[in-house]
Amino acid sequence: MALFSVSKTAFLLAFLSLRTYQSEVLSEPLPWAPESLKVSVNTTSQSLHLQWTVHNLAHHQEFRMVFQIEISRIKTSNVIWVENYTTTVKWNQVLHWSWESKLPLECAKHFIRMRSAVDAAKTPGPRVWSSWSSWEEADVQNSLGQDLLFVFPKDKLVEEGSNVTICYVSKSHQNNISCYLEGVRMQGEQLDPNVSVFNLNHVAFIRETGTNIYCKPGQGDGIKGTVLFVSKVLQEPKDFSCETQDLMTLNCTWDPGSDTGLLKQLSQSYTLFESFSGKKILCKHKSWCLWQVAPESQDMYNFTLTAENYLRKRSVHLLFHLTHRVHPMAPFNVLFKNVNATSATMTWKVHAIGKYYTLLCQVELYGEGKVTQHNVSVKVDGVHLFSGLEPDTEYLAQVRCANGDHFWKWSEWTHQNFTTVEAAPSEAPDVWRNVKIVQGRCVVTLFWKPLSKLQAHGKILFYNIVIEYLDRTSGSEVLSIPAPASGTELPLNQCSSQIRITASNSVGTSPASVLVVSREPGNEEVEEERVKGTEDGFPLSWNPQPRHVTGYLVEWCEQPRDPPCDLQWKNLGPNVTSTVVSSDAFRPGVRYNFRIYGISTERVPCLLARKTGYSQELAPSDNPQVVMTNLTSHSFTLSWKNYSTESQPSFIQGYHVYLKSKAGRCHSGSEKAVLSDDAVCCKYKIDNPEQKTFVVENLQPESFYEFLVTPYTSVGEGPHDAFAKVTTPDEYSPTLIRILLPTVFCILLIMITCYLKSQWMKEKCYPDIPDPYKSSVLSLIKSKENPHLTIMNIKDCVPDSIEVLNKQEGTRKSFTETESTKPTYLYLLPTEKRYSSPGPCICFENFTYNQAASDSASCGHVPAPPKAPPSQLGLLTSPENLLKALEKNYMNSLGEIPAGETSLNYVSQLASPMSGDMSNLPKNPPEPALCSEYKMQMAIPLGLASPPSSGSSSLSSITLLDEGERYH
Amino acid sequence: MRAQLMWRTLPSLVLGLLFLSTPVMGSCLDKDQELLRQLQKQADIMQRTSMLLHPYIQSQGLDKDGLKEHCRERPGTFPSKEALQRLSRQELLRALDTMLDHVLHRLMALQRDIPKAQDLETVNRAKQNIRGFKNNIHCMAQLLPGSSERTEPAPIGPGTSPSPTPTPDTFQRRLEGCRFLHGYHRFMHSVGQVFREWAESPSRSRRHSPRRGLRKGARRVPLSRGNKRLLPRGQLPR
Repeated sequence: MALFSVSKTAFLLAFLSLRTYQSEVLSEPLPWAPESLKVSVNTTSQSLHLQWTVHNLAHHQEFRMVFQIEISRIKTSNVIWVENYTTTVKWNQVLHWSWESKLPLECAKHFIRMRSAVDAAKTPGPRVWSSWSSWEEADVQNSLGQDLLFVFPKDKLVEEGSNVTICYVSKSHQNNISCYLEGVRMQGEQLDPNVSVFNLNHVAFIRETGTNIYCKPGQGDGIKGTVLFVSKVLQEPKDFSCETQDLMTLNCTWDPGSDTGLLKQLSQSYTLFESFSGKKILCKHKSWCLWQVAPESQDMYNFTLTAENYLRKRSVHLLFHLTHRVHPMAPFNVLFKNVNATSATMTWKVHAIGKYYTLLCQVELYGEGKVTQHNVSVKVDGVHLFSGLEPDTEYLAQVRCANGDHFWKWSEWTHQNFTTVEAAPSEAPDVWRNVKIVQGRCVVTLFWKPLSKLQAHGKILFYNIVIEYLDRTSGSEVLSIPAPASGTELPLNQCSSQIRITASNSVGTSPASVLVVSREPGNEEVEEERVKGTEDGFPLSWNPQPRHVTGYLVEWCEQPRDPPCDLQWKNLGPNVTSTVVSSDAFRPGVRYNFRIYGISTERVPCLLARKTGYSQELAPSDNPQVVMTNLTSHSFTLSWKNYSTESQPSFIQGYHVYLKSKAGRCHSGSEKAVLSDDAVCCKYKIDNPEQKTFVVENLQPESFYEFLVTPYTSVGEGPHDAFAKVTTPDEYSPTLIRILLPTVFCILLIMITCYLKSQWMKEKCYPDIPDPYKSSVLSLIKSKENPHLTIMNIKDCVPDSIEVLNKQEGTRKSFTETESTKPTYLYLLPTEKRYSSPGPCICFENFTYNQAASDSASCGHVPAPPKAPPSQLGLLTSPENLLKALEKNYMNSLGEIPAGETSLNYVSQLASPMSGDMSNLPKNPPEPALCSEYKMQMAIPLGLASPPSSGSSSLSSITLLDEGERYH
Repeated sequence: MRAQLMWRTLPSLVLGLLFLSTPVMGSCLDKDQELLRQLQKQADIMQRTSMLLHPYIQSQGLDKDGLKEHCRERPGTFPSKEALQRLSRQELLRALDTMLDHVLHRLMALQRDIPKAQDLETVNRAKQNIRGFKNNIHCMAQLLPGSSERTEPAPIGPGTSPSPTPTPDTFQRRLEGCRFLHGYHRFMHSVGQVFREWAESPSRSRRHSPRRGLRKGARRVPLSRGNKRLLPRGQLPR
């Protein structure tokens, strides 16, 4: 100690003498100047490492010195960094100092020098510096290699958001080198002719494999680049915690935060250090680590968790007592014993924690939507009795445990299910009925609601129905309806009866529901009221019954009530006079009918009120089917009697009748309305929903109208979709029809009467002459080919005379006109006498058959001989030719004879097709002539009729006919 | 992404099935045409750049304009198709075996720079494919005449040194890896074509026709994992 005091004193004396000396001789160098300065470059960390010594220090001499360090770039005059480094210097000590360059050291030469001074901060006066050391050069470019292009720094690791300087060094003379960051060209600044620098600010994380930065010359394939590994900022571990399950091992966990996003080899590591024991482990995982507890040797632990990567180090601390961090393992072997309808015993085991620790276990029971919780203290085995359970119910029981002495955390739950056994149903089924009288007999439809799970206490197997007739003579009936039926129909022998309904499961039977049925239908004449539904349901109220009632019942169902709807009901207490009936089954636009009954003490229901309403009224979706009748020129009638107002989605308040017309005028009783399609029409309003006919009046004749009948309700009217079309008729048409039709009818009647009268007259006065050709006898004769015909055939006739009718050309003479015409007869029979001087003869003439012939009929002989050419007449000698000629002329005679044509008529006894036509009969038939002979009468054209000149005239006349036939 | 995974997985599945029929079962097919067909199919699948190159380019961020153009095979890394055609069949198989050993070695090196498990799985599948292919090469070599004679490594011309020394910095290593994979797929394409020529002209080199070269009772050498077992006879030089 004394030696130290002496040395110290000597040092102070020496120091004082030094200051004195300095002040006296300033030009003298400081004896402790830095020497042997060496500069080395670490390209990985981009740092310069300086190493030097201080000579002339005495042995054991030690004092603080300041070293001023200057760093220049490119040239010595370009000083970029000056720093004073203060340290305690000892004898023979090698001093070190590092400096990290932001610019990659390969990009430029660096020069370093330093000087020193004794740290005289405590002593006043200016600091005395030693002389500068010589400049030391740090030049990495010389060792780059033979490539022409380099990019620096290589594989640099930086944090996201930091600033980075990149450079390239080109050894060629190309200046058109371009550099890219992930394909995007960078703009840099030229440091010297071969070096360019790029400053990247706030670099971002792109991918785990780093950011590619590359440069390439304008020509050639000399691409060079570097990868910048950008790390996300290492986060401090969160939620660092340690706990044990068995007092043997500590499990320490933490949240490492977001990943740094680096390759695995560059990623952070986690170390766990315990200060009391001084132990340190490197964690294999990023978020947890296991620490072996020294048994019974250490209770307190002070952990330091350190996360560290190349760039950053983060630490968190944790101090705890081991027994306060016990997190027990989950219980096991959970079992249930003595499970019955309402109770069960649960047992479980726990993993032991040491010898003296008691566990607190929490038992939870889930069932029927409820949770019950119990705490149980456990050493090794746990037991708990669950009571008050529901029969036939599945429960979930779970248990977890924690250290009972120092609670830290609950263990995991261990679950187990169990089901209680069945019991007899506890409640009577909720029953209601509907009574009908069918053919004088009561038919009861029973409805019941299935018992809830809590009431049924098991699976309901069947429902028992006991009917006890109040008239004791009828006895009782027992029925069993298997589940899951919810109703049945019972024809009763007698209306007055009591019905008891019970539900049974495998264990027992429920209490009974009792209904009393009486023949009286109840107060059915109760007037129906309307009720408006709300979002909450239908609010119903009724007057309290003066009589004593055991309760009220509200039943409801959808409209229509028949066939039986899904009847619902609700039981209410005796003091209730209002309720809100709500149901998820209520649908908008559906009418519901409600009935409210009071239930007497004798269980007899009495109807108190009837209500009907909609939970929500909807506008009608359909319009009535309208029939149009009584269409006149000024009106028509609309009818929609089939439209049911009861089954609509809202209460029908009335109807609107829309009428569209071109005129657009609306008469009284209607108003103008504009439809959604901007069409203007007249609207008639019918306020009575039961009025289902309407007469549209004041229409114009022959006009086009469109009409629509739509119901309206409180929420709107029906759709305006399909207008029916109608056109009014003409104003006079009906009148005309009324007049014309009877007139035509009368005329027709008269005509028919006249015709019938004429027929009658004809039958009576001149009936038809039978037609021999139509006789069946004729065919019989022909078939036998009897040569001796009794009926004269025209072929067998040999005409003896031809009557020639000569008509004036261009006119047709009437019967009276031709009366003066004297027919010319051609005597075809070879009778000389007759030709020269006609003698008396008998002439048969039939005026019935041919008017023309009869007109010219005369029983006189033609005074002049016929002028027919012999050739024509000669042809007539052949019976066949003659017949043909006759038939042809005969046919001609039936038609109208053309003007100027002379007709040749044959008049004979032969019947003609027109034999029935007697209308042209002469009123005064001529008297028979004296000569009695058969005459064939023919009309010969006048030009052809020339008198025979010789005895061969008959031949000539036949020839003439033949020619005539040919002519035709 | 899922479709891409499917696209990568499917060929591997096919290859796996192909391998199942031969060496994995512990014995070689003795039908040389069948074996040749399998080799063709394997080469066709292994030539697909979606098996290795594209996932690598994407994971390394080389899919950028101005950068991906430099991901081209360096001449000499792998032998050309012409060089392969010049080789006898025995020589070709030996050269293939050697080249694929280099590829396996290089793939293991590349795996260090691949962070994503999905991409690592891609490389692992590629390695399995190569090992299976090598097994089939071995089987094919057994069917060639003179396979029992131990021969020298095949002269494969300019590509005898397929693995240039990787540069230490990550960027150059990354680029070289990309170029290598590009060359690998091209090489497998050439191999497939040469195998196809074998199938189309079995008598091109009668001396080396597998059919003619079938040795009666050719020994079936059980294969072990890693392809390091085979071969007392028909051994392929490494």
